[in-house]
Amino acid sequence: MHWLLDAWIGTQTWLFETFVSPVLFHFNLMEWFDDAFDAVEFFMLGVVQILVIALLMRPLEKRRPMENVKNRRLPAVDRVYTVLSKLGVVPLVVFVIAYPITNEIELQMRGLGIAPPRIESLMPWLHDHPLVTFLIYFALYDFAAYWIHRAQHGFSWWWALHSLHHSQREVTAWTDDRNHVLDSLLVTLVLVIFSQSVGVQPGDYVSILMVGRLIESWSHANVDLGFGRIGDRLLVGPRFHRLHHALGTPAEPRIYDHNYALVFPLWDMLFGTARYDRKARPMGVEDPAIDADNDLGWLGQQVAGFRRFAAAILPRLAG
Amino acid sequence: MKKFAFALLALSASVTTAQAESIIVLNSEDASYSILDRATRMEVQRLPLGREPHHLILTPNGKEVLLASTFTNELVALDTRTLERRYVVRDIIDPYQLGFSPDGKWMVTAANRLDHVDIYQTDGYKLAGRIFLDSIPSHIAFDAASRTTFVTLQESGRVAALDLATQTIKWNVEVGKAPAGIVMLPDDKRLLVALTGEESVLTVDPKDGSVIGRLPTGKAAHNFRVKDNRYYFLSNRVGSTVSLIDTQEMKVVASIKVPGGPDDMDITPDGKELWVTQRFLRRIAIIDIAEMKMIGSVRVGKSPHGLIILKTDPAAVPNKLRSASIEPSPK
Repeated sequence: MHWLLDAWIGTQTWLFETFVSPVLFHFNLMEWFDDAFDAVEFFMLGVVQILVIALLMRPLEKRRPMENVKNRRLPAVDRVYTVLSKLGVVPLVVFVIAYPITNEIELQMRGLGIAPPRIESLMPWLHDHPLVTFLIYFALYDFAAYWIHRAQHGFSWWWALHSLHHSQREVTAWTDDRNHVLDSLLVTLVLVIFSQSVGVQPGDYVSILMVGRLIESWSHANVDLGFGRIGDRLLVGPRFHRLHHALGTPAEPRIYDHNYALVFPLWDMLFGTARYDRKARPMGVEDPAIDADNDLGWLGQQVAGFRRFAAAILPRLAG
Repeated sequence: MKKFAFALLALSASVTTAQAESIIVLNSEDASYSILDRATRMEVQRLPLGREPHHLILTPNGKEVLLASTFTNELVALDTRTLERRYVVRDIIDPYQLGFSPDGKWMVTAANRLDHVDIYQTDGYKLAGRIFLDSIPSHIAFDAASRTTFVTLQESGRVAALDLATQTIKWNVEVGKAPAGIVMLPDDKRLLVALTGEESVLTVDPKDGSVIGRLPTGKAAHNFRVKDNRYYFLSNRVGSTVSLIDTQEMKVVASIKVPGGPDDMDITPDGKELWVTQRFLRRIAIIDIAEMKMIGSVRVGKSPHGLIILKTDPAAVPNKLRSASIEPSPK
């Protein structure tokens, strides 16, 4: 595997030294030198994820669809979301806004001499088991993500933003990245602060993010495949997560308030929100105002989402 | 089989010399440090450390090397002969760079993220004073008399001189874009300052900070390593080169390509090899100094930063060292 790692790092270094570092040097941005190098890896991982979706998940969707696609036009906008997200455009915007906040929190903690606790401090034997350590941090991260997801559904102002993710009627592997920028910003803020407070390493954070996002793309895929009775209870797959995107009906109102977990269904089982069945259901939301997102492009959806958010939050602010 | 052959080679090297040379490398983004063996040019062990370890330094008595973890605010002391952990110094806030005054009385740390410089009495590591400065304090140097410490302030383009005894600012002047590495020359009358935002090294008067000379080097001149009283190595991070500077003539006498953002450097005890961290490639480059030629590289962890070469006793180094960041210990 060393050759693969060398090839990866060599490509990252070449991209950085050829395209990025001369620009940073020219504009006297050398304080971002090492962070920018990490950003190049983020970009490369995004390219790999897009390739995995396009070359592995999409053929499976065509071969074994869970639901027949009625409108092939609708997923097109989700591809725009995926490219903007995976190649770092949206994350860069989120970073520029979130960094001063998370950095200030970090500086305050450092100034007070508060070092975040690390799991390895409590369980020293973990030092010799990096994979187990990674899985523990991954589980912690996913646990936080589960509760954030519940908050996205529970608070009307947050649902106003998050409903954009649910408005897609043709959910595919591309749909995972269909999010309002403000929604992404809020989720990132909470997850970064949580990760800092439990001592997740920056390198691990990127790995968790990348593995997690790949599983999430898979869980949105329109594929009638599972991991078996036990496997489906260990890892979120398409059958489990597509129920979370199902259209509410009088018989099953707000069915999307189930199966919140992003990676490990354990959280849904523990907190009573898990629902397992293999019934094929139409996707989307019943509210026609939100469903209207399907007639809009990327920018139109962002504007519509922000309007819903403003309508939800302004009356509260006005008292 | 390959590992077995290397192990045999390492064993024979240790038997014939009765002293090994170990290289300790801080993997800043892995929260770990690597121990390399010079003879086999292999990573022998990788051990966990507090988050974001960047630099390390020998204690004045040379018995320990302090590994500084910036996020966990601690210095882990390793025995230089056996590489075993001796103690941990806690509550050293954001110890990015650190240096001891020539008389060994003071330890100075640059809190890179928190914009202050701390001056400690080495005896007991008691904080004598904290001086807040312009943004990103980076590298540290001292005058020969141990009266003054000089600190580069990378983001603000300045260099500050601080009085060690009174912990006050003597001067703080603008010098150029992103000053990083700084060394006092043996004459005690000239400071060399590497400009990471430019392609040059400045000669600065330690009395008042005035710039008295400029030497074009490589893109993003960054860090120094003294070769002898006259010659200094300089790493250039964007240019990905290491230059050799003649400080008497003030000219670059040799330059070598070292890919991957070369940074910290150290020289083997026999003076034959320069080992350089290649931050981006996760490797340590080995340079034959006489030939000024790269002769190999060793794989380490992510973003290797500080490194030091130590003479160790192979018989005393345990096969498996203890983890270095988990047990509390007295200050």
